[in-house]
Amino acid sequence: MFGDLRRFDTGRTQGLDWFRQWMDEMLPEAGAADIRSVPRGSFPMINVGRTDDAVRVYVFAAGLSAEELEVSLQDNVLTVSGRRGPDAAPEAAAARTDFRLERFRGEFSRSLALPDGLDVERAEARFRDGVCEVLLPKREELKPRRIAIQAA
Amino acid sequence: MNDVTRHDAPQAPADREQEVETLLPPVDIFEDGNALHLIADMPGVTRESLHIEVDNNVLSLEGEVRLEMPEGLTAIYAEVRAQRYARRFTLSHEIDAEAIQARIDNGVVELVLPRKETHRRRRIEVKAA
Repeated sequence: MFGDLRRFDTGRTQGLDWFRQWMDEMLPEAGAADIRSVPRGSFPMINVGRTDDAVRVYVFAAGLSAEELEVSLQDNVLTVSGRRGPDAAPEAAAARTDFRLERFRGEFSRSLALPDGLDVERAEARFRDGVCEVLLPKREELKPRRIAIQAA
Repeated sequence: MNDVTRHDAPQAPADREQEVETLLPPVDIFEDGNALHLIADMPGVTRESLHIEVDNNVLSLEGEVRLEMPEGLTAIYAEVRAQRYARRFTLSHEIDAEAIQARIDNGVVELVLPRKETHRRRRIEVKAA
């Protein structure tokens, strides 16, 4: 399923992230980074795929409900934003001992430029098992079509 | 000469191909009163594709990303590049492995690892002399 995604190898996989981040801190990159690029492992993580008739965006936002995640589109830029609050009441949190706090909490907002030619009016979003799938159908004129070859 | 090259040809590439890449899910671990709690973010994992196991005092948490993807989907951009999460923790002896409870909701796994009865904190009454 994600096997062919690996050919877009722009960085390390998530498991090596801490090491990469540490290395980046030690040896800042000499090359220029995109001014809007986000560090890998930002919340929520996003995958984008394309089929013949649509573009599908997968937002990996565990623990959020459909109401808590806001998906908006403007000028072909898709923005996902929301807030993931603490999972315990403050008085309960005070009574506990924390060992690890790796999960993201707080407000987030991520934007993503989409390819041209999408029919924004017919966009749909679905939430399942912590993954929000946004379906953006392509406009009719951009779908691939077969051209019949006529005999001379 | 041909023999030598044939013998040297390692089988490693084939093995490496089989090695499944895994994601490391972020976790929160905290302790309150009589139990340890573990919360892990595993978006895309369903109740059926989640496997939790305790073997020899090692807790392993594994899950497969199950996404409905149409045929012929090609990637344009990908941050999640594996379809399996895996993480392991060693447990301490006071955890009651039999009584571990787990649930998954919206891609968030919550584990409650209770302490054994004998290791619970107890209050000692101080009697007046």
